[in-house]
Amino acid sequence: MAIERCAVLGAGLMGSGIAAHLANAGLPVLLLDMPAKEGPRSGAAAAAIERLKKADPQPLMTPDAAKLITPGNFDDDLPKLAECDWIIEVIVEDLGAKRAMYDRVDAVRKPGSIVSSNTSTIPLRSLAKKQSPAFQADFCITHFFNPPRYMRLLELVTGPGTRPEVAAELTQLCDVRLGKGVVHCKDTPGFIANRIGTYWITCAVNEAIARGVTVEDADATHRPMGIPKTGVFGLVDLVGLDLMPLIATSLLFSLPPGDDYRRIFKAHPLLTRMIAEGNTGRKGKGGFYRMTKAGRERVREAIDLSTGEYRPAAKPKLEAVEAARRDLGALVRHPSPAGEYAQAVLVQVLAYAASLVPDIADDIASVDEAMRLGYAWTQGPFELIDRLGADWLAGAVEAAGLPVPPLLALARGRSFYRVQDGALQCLTPAGEYAPVKRPPGVLLLQDIKRASKPVLRNASAAVWDIGDGVLCFEFTSKMNALDPDILGLLGQALALASKSYKGMVIHNEGENFSVGANLGLAMFAANVAAWPVIEQQVAGGQAALKALKYALVPVVGAPSGMALGGGCEILLHCSAVQAHAETYMGLVEVGVGLLPGWGGCKELLGRWQAAPGLPRGPMPAVAKVFEVISTAQVSKSAAQARGLGFLRPTDGITMNRDRLLHDAKQRVLALADGYQPPKAFEYSLPGPGGRVALDLAVEGFAATGKATPHDVVVSKRVARVLTGGDADPLDVMTEDDVTALEREAFMALVRTPASLARTEHMLTTGKPLRN
Amino acid sequence: MTQAVIAGYARSPFTPAGKGALSRVRPDDLMAQVVRALIERTGAKPEDIEDIIIGCAFPEGEQGFNIGRVVGFLADLPITAAGSQVNRWCGSSMSAVHMAAGAVAAGAGDLFVCGGVESMSRVPMLGFNPVLNPRLQKEKPDSYLGMGMTAENLAQRYQIDRTAQQQFAVTSQQRAAAAQAEGRFADEIVPIQTKAGAVSADGCIRADTTEEGLSALRPAFLATGTVTAGTSSPLTDGASAVLVASADYAEKHGLPVLARIAAMSVAGCAPDIMGIGPVPAARKALARAGLEMSAMDVVELNEAFAAQALAVERDLMLDHARVNLDGGAIALGHPLGASGARITGKAASLLARTGGKHAMATMCVGGGQGVATILARA
Repeated sequence: MAIERCAVLGAGLMGSGIAAHLANAGLPVLLLDMPAKEGPRSGAAAAAIERLKKADPQPLMTPDAAKLITPGNFDDDLPKLAECDWIIEVIVEDLGAKRAMYDRVDAVRKPGSIVSSNTSTIPLRSLAKKQSPAFQADFCITHFFNPPRYMRLLELVTGPGTRPEVAAELTQLCDVRLGKGVVHCKDTPGFIANRIGTYWITCAVNEAIARGVTVEDADATHRPMGIPKTGVFGLVDLVGLDLMPLIATSLLFSLPPGDDYRRIFKAHPLLTRMIAEGNTGRKGKGGFYRMTKAGRERVREAIDLSTGEYRPAAKPKLEAVEAARRDLGALVRHPSPAGEYAQAVLVQVLAYAASLVPDIADDIASVDEAMRLGYAWTQGPFELIDRLGADWLAGAVEAAGLPVPPLLALARGRSFYRVQDGALQCLTPAGEYAPVKRPPGVLLLQDIKRASKPVLRNASAAVWDIGDGVLCFEFTSKMNALDPDILGLLGQALALASKSYKGMVIHNEGENFSVGANLGLAMFAANVAAWPVIEQQVAGGQAALKALKYALVPVVGAPSGMALGGGCEILLHCSAVQAHAETYMGLVEVGVGLLPGWGGCKELLGRWQAAPGLPRGPMPAVAKVFEVISTAQVSKSAAQARGLGFLRPTDGITMNRDRLLHDAKQRVLALADGYQPPKAFEYSLPGPGGRVALDLAVEGFAATGKATPHDVVVSKRVARVLTGGDADPLDVMTEDDVTALEREAFMALVRTPASLARTEHMLTTGKPLRN
Repeated sequence: MTQAVIAGYARSPFTPAGKGALSRVRPDDLMAQVVRALIERTGAKPEDIEDIIIGCAFPEGEQGFNIGRVVGFLADLPITAAGSQVNRWCGSSMSAVHMAAGAVAAGAGDLFVCGGVESMSRVPMLGFNPVLNPRLQKEKPDSYLGMGMTAENLAQRYQIDRTAQQQFAVTSQQRAAAAQAEGRFADEIVPIQTKAGAVSADGCIRADTTEEGLSALRPAFLATGTVTAGTSSPLTDGASAVLVASADYAEKHGLPVLARIAAMSVAGCAPDIMGIGPVPAARKALARAGLEMSAMDVVELNEAFAAQALAVERDLMLDHARVNLDGGAIALGHPLGASGARITGKAASLLARTGGKHAMATMCVGGGQGVATILARA
């Protein structure tokens, strides 16, 4: 049965977040909660929907998505569940309450509809125990992580009575339409991610307290392990200290008798006191960290684990961490408190993870994926073991007086992962290596790279053959910053693609597609007043992107994460874009005192001039693009990028990042047959009369203090480009005319000390200078 | 010379632009509903209408296309009633009245529908295609100065501090709220049919406005300035209309005459203090009528900004007790093209209500102008 309509029972933070994400995927959702005692009966769910519209980070990819969520209440609207194909229960973690809800659901749902629980603590066998066989056949656990839009992990747990089709349908839906990494888990306490994650947090806190390691040092020490920069204490602040005892109680109740969590669990008086005093983390008065005000300055403080008093937080520079930049082993072997702390934590956590397979999952790859997607670790525990060496870890476990888990013993003398004939394999509990399977429709550049050599490459980019006559152009520079090497190789790649391939994808697997041009290079040239060099680079970029736009074969951009400045301009010149849903696009050059100089103004203006729905005349498109560029608007999703004109209505959106390259490749193949390069835009621009109107608007913002003096300078340059310079509205301007204006304005701005100050400030602080 | 009289006044509710109850109503439909009601209420014979003259500050999009003619069609008036559109920014619909009165005086017609409309929700300030003259901007930059800045200029030149502006705004809100509560707008408001139901109440009035509340607002136009959103008229949707007839025709057909048009004027002033425009306009009109300001029992002075209205009151030595008895545009809203007909119709009906002899309606106009109408009790 195709899942077309969903219901979420429980409109709390998780329930409403799940409903929002279902709506992001275009699925109509019924969101139910308890009937209100006062006011409208469905007030709780309606209020939750209103909160979704205001929450940050945004649970909704577009404001319109909220229209797909219908509020209701358990007493009046339960019969509407008969229309739903998937019913997700997200009510209080109470077995009795959940069972009672299932009875009510079962009485009204249609046969074959899927019912799942978002429980994180109650085993499926307990939840399903008293239900009818038919209910059990349609029941499973779908465990989302918070916030549901952004956390990619979905743990799927099925019971012995669950129909196989339930897992298949949900896996397909959650993977393809919701973009989740679906990890099949066994019905064990905490499933995968929270089982290991809770152990890790507990262990890391215990060891810090026992060893007198400060919270800042402990968090800094976790960074080389690939743990997000919140570290462990920052993460507890984020989740809420008060949740920790609840999770511990639940785990201690349900874990098997010999589980190592029982050994390490401690109730720390400091944590108990912090919770009692309301220092429950970011949602409370403070946590392990807090922000306070000293005069007008905001000061970050950290708690002293020995005294419980707050003090200004340090910014640790630890030798052990420095040493670990290239080698994780250097961290755990470093003869310092930080090194010893790292070793104590990693040895216990990694050994614990190794002890859990195959009890919690069939394979180690699932465990690693769960920790990557659910806890945002760069690498999962088995990948970390490979970095340290299974032999070293087994030895360290023994030295710590702990038992070596059988799986770790099996890995001695080898690794958990290996590459065989270009394919990634992982060690199974049987001691064999098995291929790491990718679902159909998943194509990862990392797999291509393991199995082949680049067709072309230089210091900043590489070109790969991804099969079926399609190339993939990858940025490899630091932070994927765009430089002349990338533009040079792009030209070569286009020539090669036009001659011998069907088309090309521009894609990489970095956190961000590209945050723009390499400002350091531009700054260097400006500092030595090498203006002709800069102008040449601007012209070179314009020529390279023009060649991209008019290539004889289709080129499809496939971004994920931020695509800013030049990164956005490259995408604007592609034949089509297949964007990951979490793509954040913007022409943000004004932030560094410049403007889009590689054809960004030209492309966005051309698109808006052709956009349906705008009033006629020379100004509406100009005014819209002026607003987008002069205020450096960045889309908060791919769907929003459509609204800003960065993506066309025909551009595609892929919810699951792992499917992006495949989808983009398919787009190339679909376009390749009979491909014709696009027709060039022609422009009718208002000229100086329009510029005066935009300039007056900017001056109005400056008068109220909303625009800085240099904002005015930069915006007036943007206005001159977008209104066509000295054009008459009857002139028909070409793309080259507009890029010439871009170049002229760029060169005028780059010579401005205030623009250079902005650029320098961005390079040194990562933040915009408001001069 | 034939005398022109005001023989009826009606308006839509005035509601905030953007999220107000009329934001999804097309301005031509809005205007047509008001005109239809005006004809019905006055009992005027549609077949006698000479012209439908509609003013609008930004006459484009849904409020362009010679809206006067469009409204005639939409209101099912006879095709013999002609239609035209007039633009004098905020003074547009007062100019519509003047055109009709002039035509009556010239013997060029007996019955005119004069109205104004602005949907500030649907047609933005400056319109969709603001293409200005660069030479003018260079040589006389004040020509295009934003309205808020002209109010700041007046505040500075007349030393009108923020407190005085706030007190003025609070009074406007209190008078409007009282008038609304006592049903004093009921006669003039035409309930407007919308997809979401009938809208019959003004939506901009903030009865709970206090000086303390206003003092928390940030300056809206100049970081160091004194003019805030609370002491400015809000962006508004609305339409208004008056029936202008020759005195003879009105008498012959028993139309409910509210007032006689005694004098009219327009006057230019410096564009950087456009808000002072009512001063020269009022003086001209008074001279033409042979009257002193003190003879005005009722004054409707459009409140574009509190600072502007206070400066005008000071120069004309107006007694605020006689000005804007039921509140002004700061409270009611200022749908640009509609305000002229509103204050003219309002002054006429106040004259009837108060039993006064003379009334004045006057307003400032962007670019540096004033427009004024003196009414005499019929």
